[in-house]
Amino acid sequence: MLPALLLVGAAAWVPARWSSTDPKTLELLRGTPVNCLVVEQASPEFAGEAAARGLAVLLAAGAGEAPEAIARRAAELRLAGVVLEGGFQAPGVERARRMLGQAGLTLIELPPRALLRPEGGGPVVGTAQGLWPGIRVFDDGAVRAAPTGGPWVETNTGLLRYLRAASDAAIWIANRPPPKAIFPVERYLVAIADAAIAGARWVVALDEDFQARLYARQAKALAAWERIAAHLRFYEDHGEWRSWKPASRLALIQDEQSGALLSGGVLDMIAVKHAPVRPVPRKLLSAEALRGARVAVNVDPAALSDEQKEILRGFTRSGGVLLSGPPGWKFPLPEGDRITLEEKDQERLNEIWREVNSLVGRRNLGARLFNVSGMLSNLAAAPDGKQAVLHLVNFTSQPAENITVHLAGSYGRVRLLSPEAPERELAPYAIEEGVAVEIERIASCAALLLDWKE
Amino acid sequence: MTRRELLGVFAGAVAARAKEPPAAPVAIGKAAGYDGDLTEALGRLFDQLGGLGRLVKGKTVTLKLNLTGSPALRFQGHPLGATHYVHPRVVGAVVHLMGRAGARRVRLVESCWASGGPLEEYLLDCGWPVRALAAAAPAVEFENTNNLGKRRRYARFKTPPGAWIFPAYDLNEAYLETDVFVSLAKLKNHATCGVTLALKNCFGITPASIYGDDAGLAEPNENPGKGRAEVLHFGKRGPSRSAPQELDPRSSRADGYRVPRITAELAAARPIDLAVIDGIQTVTGGEGPWIRGLKFVEPGLLIAGWNPVSTDAAAMAVMGYDPQAGRGRPPFRDCDNTLKLAETLGVGSADLARIEVRGLAIEQARFPFPA
Repeated sequence: MLPALLLVGAAAWVPARWSSTDPKTLELLRGTPVNCLVVEQASPEFAGEAAARGLAVLLAAGAGEAPEAIARRAAELRLAGVVLEGGFQAPGVERARRMLGQAGLTLIELPPRALLRPEGGGPVVGTAQGLWPGIRVFDDGAVRAAPTGGPWVETNTGLLRYLRAASDAAIWIANRPPPKAIFPVERYLVAIADAAIAGARWVVALDEDFQARLYARQAKALAAWERIAAHLRFYEDHGEWRSWKPASRLALIQDEQSGALLSGGVLDMIAVKHAPVRPVPRKLLSAEALRGARVAVNVDPAALSDEQKEILRGFTRSGGVLLSGPPGWKFPLPEGDRITLEEKDQERLNEIWREVNSLVGRRNLGARLFNVSGMLSNLAAAPDGKQAVLHLVNFTSQPAENITVHLAGSYGRVRLLSPEAPERELAPYAIEEGVAVEIERIASCAALLLDWKE
Repeated sequence: MTRRELLGVFAGAVAARAKEPPAAPVAIGKAAGYDGDLTEALGRLFDQLGGLGRLVKGKTVTLKLNLTGSPALRFQGHPLGATHYVHPRVVGAVVHLMGRAGARRVRLVESCWASGGPLEEYLLDCGWPVRALAAAAPAVEFENTNNLGKRRRYARFKTPPGAWIFPAYDLNEAYLETDVFVSLAKLKNHATCGVTLALKNCFGITPASIYGDDAGLAEPNENPGKGRAEVLHFGKRGPSRSAPQELDPRSSRADGYRVPRITAELAAARPIDLAVIDGIQTVTGGEGPWIRGLKFVEPGLLIAGWNPVSTDAAAMAVMGYDPQAGRGRPPFRDCDNTLKLAETLGVGSADLARIEVRGLAIEQARFPFPA
């Protein structure tokens, strides 16, 4: 019989890559939220110990491997399923899916971004192609500046927020740290938060040095692992946030063909401006999807159907401001290993950026944040509208201090929650557009939990 | 240098000889950090100068802050006030002391980098405690002077005879509606001008709406989004035609020629009544993080004086420089000496022999900056 955790299913899996086949290393997971291991090899002993501990183990197959063979091996070991990373021939995938289905096992596909389809119907939508979150630096160590004048933030949130809006499945980003790199633990904390604020999960993947030290139970590695666990726990303890919908008066209409699968696109650019934004997948465009929005950015006007055009006409007739992407310009699609824009496309994107920037201006589209360069945020509201959460992630290597948040709306109670500090009540004060709060310090990440004033 | 420029300098020098520029006392004090009692430390400096009351009682005091470059650019993760911005605690202490000395109104101003939005929001982006600053004196106002802001017209400030670049500057009216003008500056180098002190801080009173790279050609662009390199630094284009144009468009376009002269002209056109220099923590090697080779340092010093040229001269001496050094000598390797140019326009004296230093002696305060 499968342990209870396995029965919960993929939606509740908190995944991590695990390179050790030593069953004793599983003790490192005790007390952590990690309940799903993505492995490249497993022994019966390892599989048995994992099952006894209630851990779901997924056997990973890379491009070039035969999906059926991996599926057979997973079934023999009585694992929870298989993860296919990269591109595979469809017939092989279908045979593996049938084989796994008959055995009651799960198939998770993490295709290249170019093949990513949020409506795929699997339990998990995701990819292993991602940026390593952090501040982009030049080879000489200087920080690269973004168009805003602030540091350039490498993030996967644009893609993940789009996927979150386009699919009800669990969203995974399974990128690994760049090879031969050794990172401080803070970079892992940021990777966790970068996915979590978009309602997704990062498949925890440690660099080789960290893995070796962790499996050897070195004190510093254990302490760092505990911090990683604390950050995972923080977002799992508030799992309901994952399903909360983006709250913004700015809607961004795009799809896979208009840049949604790239990083560094329009969604990321707006996020760097610290303006809340509501991604609206083109296929889901409706009057309801635009309800409450005052500004809409339509990246690819030519892709709209007549019905969708009418919806946008209705939006503008009711006072909404619509900004359309440059005519005749098609967003490039991700191709091979390229998941960001090339220089020439970047210039075109800057044209959109200038327009968006002037449209957004000083408007409060849900929240305005101050002194947050090197940070990203995301505002989401509970289905009943009584609560909202403003996620904050600090990508810099120093704590962020003296942050001010102007919230559009009448919030009576504001709490600051973070993984490594006790919950704090903040004192909201009235401003023209709602209330404001001040935050003294954020280490890696935090969330403002906002209670609507009755 | 063209013949006309040479004659201009010569004429200025003759004028300077005819009437010696004013010198005024400068006070120097120690402050270990920004967490200490800066009100006490600054109050002592002002007392050594004779007290603020006689200057500010019942007056509108305008404090020009030094907020160089985008607040998003930090140096090695330090707070902005610890490196290239004047520190908010120094500002808070000065505001408080102005209020205590009877100032009717204290107005904080800056032409915020690439922004025409409210100064309060810009300061929030700097991580400043705006509410605390607003409460530090009875009537505190904030004004971004990078455009018209809440005002209806620009004010014209004429430069004196002997000016090199512009006959007058169009500035935000806040600078006219001022009884006491204070330059609240940082002790640091400047890549173009050698030093950024009280004088160079006021280069930033020019509105980018008129003098910015994206200034309107005919009329000001009230939504400025760029710096002032093309118009002021390099003279690649003129300011908006609504403002006075250059005296001699054939003069040198080199920034080491233009920026010191424009700075001196501005100090003559909009006189500075009090100079306060924050040298508690700062950077050496340049004015902001976009300059390579910056180094964070902690001189632990505060400097104040009634005359900006004299105050800058004392500050330069503290930095280990000769305030009368000519072009080619540190820190004026590729530029003219702003202090000497301001002296030529009669703004003040950079002659240490004529400047009385109170509090710490220059030798006691010496904190050498890079040669």
